[in-house]
Amino acid sequence: MSRIFVTGIGIVSPLGMGVLPNLNGLGMGLCGISTMQHTMSKYAEELPFGEVKIATDALCDLLQVNCKGVSRTSLLSLMAFREAILQSNVSTAQLQQHDTALIGATTVGGMCLIDELYENANKLSNNTDYIASYDASSVTLYLQNKYKIGGIINTFNTACSSSANAIMYGARLIKHGLANRAIVGGADSLSKFTINGFNALRIFSKQICTPFDANRMGLNLAEGAAYLVLEGEGTVGDKEILAELSGFSNTNDSFHPTALSAQGDGPFLAMQKALAIASLKPADIDFINTHGTGTENNDLAESVAMKRVFDSVPSFASTKSNTGHTLGAASAIEAVFSIFNIVHQELYPHLHFSKAIPETALIPVQTFQKRFIKHVMSNSFGFGGNCSSLIFSKV
Amino acid sequence: MEHTALKNELKTHIIQYLNLKIEPEEIKDDQPLFGEGLGLDSIDSIELIVLLDRNYGIKIEDPKEGRKILVDVNTMVDYIEKNRKK
Amino acid sequence: MLYIYQTSCISPQPFPLAINNFNTDITVAHHGIMVVEPDYADIPVNILRRMGKAVRMGVGAALPIIAAHRNIDGIVIGTANGSMEDSIKFLNQIVDYKEGMLTPTNFVQSTPNAVAAQLALLSENKLYNTTHVHRGLAFENALLDVMMLCADQPQSQFLLGGLDEISTYNHAIEYLGGWYKSDSIDTNKLYQSTSVGTIAGEGASMFLVGQNPSGAIAKVSAILSLHAEDMGEVADGLSRFLIANDIDPNAIDTLILGENGDIRFQHFYQNVARAFPLSNQLRYKHLCGEYTTASSFALSLASLLINCENVPSHLYKDNGKAKGTINNILLYNTFKGLQHSFIYVQSANDMAINAT
Repeated sequence: MSRIFVTGIGIVSPLGMGVLPNLNGLGMGLCGISTMQHTMSKYAEELPFGEVKIATDALCDLLQVNCKGVSRTSLLSLMAFREAILQSNVSTAQLQQHDTALIGATTVGGMCLIDELYENANKLSNNTDYIASYDASSVTLYLQNKYKIGGIINTFNTACSSSANAIMYGARLIKHGLANRAIVGGADSLSKFTINGFNALRIFSKQICTPFDANRMGLNLAEGAAYLVLEGEGTVGDKEILAELSGFSNTNDSFHPTALSAQGDGPFLAMQKALAIASLKPADIDFINTHGTGTENNDLAESVAMKRVFDSVPSFASTKSNTGHTLGAASAIEAVFSIFNIVHQELYPHLHFSKAIPETALIPVQTFQKRFIKHVMSNSFGFGGNCSSLIFSKV
Repeated sequence: MEHTALKNELKTHIIQYLNLKIEPEEIKDDQPLFGEGLGLDSIDSIELIVLLDRNYGIKIEDPKEGRKILVDVNTMVDYIEKNRKK
Repeated sequence: MLYIYQTSCISPQPFPLAINNFNTDITVAHHGIMVVEPDYADIPVNILRRMGKAVRMGVGAALPIIAAHRNIDGIVIGTANGSMEDSIKFLNQIVDYKEGMLTPTNFVQSTPNAVAAQLALLSENKLYNTTHVHRGLAFENALLDVMMLCADQPQSQFLLGGLDEISTYNHAIEYLGGWYKSDSIDTNKLYQSTSVGTIAGEGASMFLVGQNPSGAIAKVSAILSLHAEDMGEVADGLSRFLIANDIDPNAIDTLILGENGDIRFQHFYQNVARAFPLSNQLRYKHLCGEYTTASSFALSLASLLINCENVPSHLYKDNGKAKGTINNILLYNTFKGLQHSFIYVQSANDMAINAT
């Protein structure tokens, strides 16, 4: 079966729009979490959010697209998609070929259009501008329609691991000869829907999140988008290869709808199986981009699971300390960050950490480090016990 | 409101908020809500906290405080009688 | 390729789905035709009380399969919207209570992966678990996912499913979009309709699948999904599908078409049918209505029809062909004329295929 190479990346996150501001932001230890200005919510002033710092109208102007019927999620998605195909030099003709797949992921989808959806669903308005834009697939279909992408098109929603599963599916399509290149990733925007949902579950931190800290108080919700261009051995030619996607796995924790088990069975199995697919030993992993949301439950369960997989837990960090939790975009954004680790041979400081969790005593990387990095693991765990691990490797 | 009437009203709310398929009479005043009693869990406890807010104007910010109040119908009614704002 | 060993389908038809027990004259209530729900005796009451209809019927349809097969190697679900009802109930809470103190259950249940997650919980399954939500091709992508899993793990068995519900809310949105008929017609008049729009439907179809032919009732040999707005592109897709999978059009004895009574899409079905002049044509949306994952109902039906001797006449779009035993079925469906799929279903018994 073909090896899977990454030949393009595109990203929009609270650290900035594009690869460069994100790379610089990580390198300088910047945090993109602050008060929210562009999404209306009662909690905008009360809670910190990881916002992409541009209004939806301005985003439309910047992208030079007609905004009618297009959600913020689709616009963030378009911005990251464009950057990824530009870097990989995928032509318009290639996009339209039957061997180009597009696999997206989102949890909010068009449900950032809260007021429009409320009116349409409750028959309070006859405005039809947005009626095809509420579901998750509207985000992927927007890109498909814009570029007339000709191959297999799909959308995942497995909560916070959605875009890891999109990346995995794209890679498997290539391995099975069902596509030669797959543009894979995810997008989510801040929405009253998820803001109030997580608030009702009481897992928000009122301060900036402190993943893996003994005194962590919860997560900060965020938005963003990222796409990767994956290509098989037969298609990659002499393109620059950023990294290889060498391992991937999805498992289920099978414990609770919104919490991980104390032993972290799902995360443990996901990491273990990803290593097996990559034919790697635990000791081969140089760095882990953890899920690390900053909730009491996740960080402890993930720490326990890491200690089960690794005799000596490798260097790790949670970039959610820079961005907050971007839900369906998180795995794709963190895949891009993992590829930065490999391409630039460096690790970035995990922020806001002061004291290790007493039960596990794990301490994240808190300084910028130049280091030989061969294999990076990236974890994503979602509601419904959905657990995914990806491994990116230096070629 | 009279004590017994409040108990019955609360049981009706509990059934409605938690979508229980039972009659109010089937919930005993001293039956534990969680664990072996009614078998409720952590998500239900948040539902009950919202019930107290919406119907009695009682705000419980700390879920740990909630554990002491959400023991059974008796403990909830005692708390409502002392703290209700509406 | 994958083999189907067992199906379980909750639909507007009597449960369990059976060829000799269809209700062909369903009065369409203003929301469409609704599923006939079983009593869900096997779902623990403390879990059942939280479930909206989508989750309930998904879990309810799957339980007979996972109860009999505890050691399945993964759960793969296609659902465009999951519990839309819970999503909008939560949204309504946000607006009605002005983002005040809200109850979380609707939010937790609103994630489309609630069905696959609940099934993992109930069967203590810690393996592959995913949810495809790509609108009219959510089930097709789930099917393709499982076909890849089967190829990689030939000894394994998987639970595959497709489900979507009609809620008051998504009905309101789709109706506003012009996708449902404004005049109320009963299901037995669906195909005579000359108006735009269809009737709303819903359902949950679950399948136990794997790579081993032993004990199989049918097999899925090939699938193709595509996005296209015109007939030419669909015809091109069909040619690619037949050539890539080495399918002789004359071997296809039966076409199952997703005709839904909306005259805007009729030309897609007619055009595909024209490529198979020797095949009988069957239809099914008078039994289940139109919904995003209706092709999962079609696959349930196809699994029951394979090797079936007495196919009820209401399924036939009578085109005067001799009606024999069904061995090789091509399913074609389009969702709103934008998303299309071809699924090739054959008898699991290789001898029967050779005989045709």
